Amino acid sequence: MNLDFLAIAPTVIIVTAVVLLLMVDVTFQMTHRWWGIAAALGFVGATTASVWQWIEHRGDDGELFFSDMLAVDGFSSFAGMLVFPIAGLGLMAGWQLVRGVGRRGAEFVALSLIAASGAHLMAASANLIMLFIALEVFSISLYVLAGFTRKGEGADEAALKYFLLGSLASAVFLYGIALIFAATGTTSMYGAKAFLDSTLILRPGILLAGIALLLVGLGFKVSAAPFHVWAPDVYQGSPGGVTGFLAAGAKIAGFAAMARVLVVPLGSYIDDWAPAIAVMAASSVIIGTLFAIAQTDLKRMLAYSSVAHAGFIMTALVAGPAGIGDMWFYVSTYAFQVVGAFAIAAVVSGALTGRSPLSDYAGLSGRSPLLAAAMGLFMLSMAGIPLTSGFIGKAAVFRAAIDADYLWLVILGLVAAVGGLFFYLRLIVVMYMQPEAEDAAHPQVRLGTRFAVGVAAVVTIVVGFVPWPLLDWVKDAIPL
Amino acid sequence: MIVNQFLVLAALLFSIGIYGVLVRRNAVLVLLSVELMLTAVNINLVAFGAFLQDELLAGQVFALFVIAVAAAEVGIGLAIVVLIFRNRSSANIDELNLLKW
Repeated sequence: MNLDFLAIAPTVIIVTAVVLLLMVDVTFQMTHRWWGIAAALGFVGATTASVWQWIEHRGDDGELFFSDMLAVDGFSSFAGMLVFPIAGLGLMAGWQLVRGVGRRGAEFVALSLIAASGAHLMAASANLIMLFIALEVFSISLYVLAGFTRKGEGADEAALKYFLLGSLASAVFLYGIALIFAATGTTSMYGAKAFLDSTLILRPGILLAGIALLLVGLGFKVSAAPFHVWAPDVYQGSPGGVTGFLAAGAKIAGFAAMARVLVVPLGSYIDDWAPAIAVMAASSVIIGTLFAIAQTDLKRMLAYSSVAHAGFIMTALVAGPAGIGDMWFYVSTYAFQVVGAFAIAAVVSGALTGRSPLSDYAGLSGRSPLLAAAMGLFMLSMAGIPLTSGFIGKAAVFRAAIDADYLWLVILGLVAAVGGLFFYLRLIVVMYMQPEAEDAAHPQVRLGTRFAVGVAAVVTIVVGFVPWPLLDWVKDAIPL
Repeated sequence: MIVNQFLVLAALLFSIGIYGVLVRRNAVLVLLSVELMLTAVNINLVAFGAFLQDELLAGQVFALFVIAVAAAEVGIGLAIVVLIFRNRSSANIDELNLLKW
């Protein structure tokens, strides 16, 4: 048994921060400043620990710890280096919400920390039991966050819809795990890999049914069509300060879990699951793009666009192990774009309210040129315009799919990307060319939001111009 | 040992659960149906665990974890249902139609 506290350092640091935050808050009734310090300590500490793990274990130096429960490799440490900063930026952008809910703000900060730690564990778990628990830690925190304002327009509705469909997906996912356990005789992913690589299963029915149910559950978590119906309602209904982390975190964690489960234990069955992934990817890009065109609410439009992005990311996964680096490239650049975009939505439409009609954004360039410029940049990057990180991401996933002989999927993706231009550019037209409403308020941009939007914009531009360092890194972000 | 009867029972329970989620209109009963699905998984896990004669008892241990997590999930779920009921004096999920399309 390999016990090493460096292996669980990110989790330990986050949990320490959460316990400190809650205990100290109950005892001394701190102000929101101290919550911010506790959260910053947690996120910075966990990111540092992830960087340390990355330096020690990147590439081929991955290791299993705690009786094969936890894998520390390039894959999990890259996920940690991504999800903790993203969660920190999301929390900064939502700080208005933390201040707006009074004493409950401490719970909000604690739940954000716990959700980030669950997302990281989803990438790091090397056992299906661990994966299930990490998934639930992540999901249950998000159910609460989605309805955190309690009243709001639709926050309660978003929470209930997210909860009911999410627990349904968890149950289906669990049934899939049970069937895979039955077929392989172990819950360890690496044990199952060894078994499946060395054994020819004459009647793989149970295993294939397990893979199918697993894909349904994970497809739900990453909001891939046809399991995307919760995403628009949850994105639109949940308060503005939550949505950014909810969108980015679910993508990072969901795709990390999906990639590891498919490539490690089920790697020898790639011929069976790759077509299913391809079909989900194709339906996601089509449905996401078509429905996004019809939206009149910004957050709802971004929700459908995130369905389309889930499809693009899955396009890389059809290549199996060879596509994991490209998947990480796309996920990491998309996470920054989406956090930045929702941070701006939280400023313009309010961090405590759910709805964000496009009319809120009319003439934004006159009221706040910087916000409009940043929003325009994120939209162009999501659309995949050259010299933004989104373009390189799309090029990377399409190359991975071409190498795996899925040319039809790439053609479909290109058509959908062109169709996506329509609604991304429409927002830019609304911001720059429509006159602002008479009573439009001048948006108040606080320091936290400024920082979050600034970081997201800088990452989007820098990776768009100089993608090579990140392209090199993601090559090492592979599972053991 | 023959596991068929347990697997059939679990599959039936799971299907009843999915049916309940799809047709029930009261949020509490939908929650109950989800619990039924988790119970079906537990039966599966214990049956497979006994059938495989696993030394680590992974099936049984997994079932215990599922029970614990399901309890946490129900805690959150009922809290959300109570919230809905307070805001709207009804827990009928057909009335949750503010967000559409």
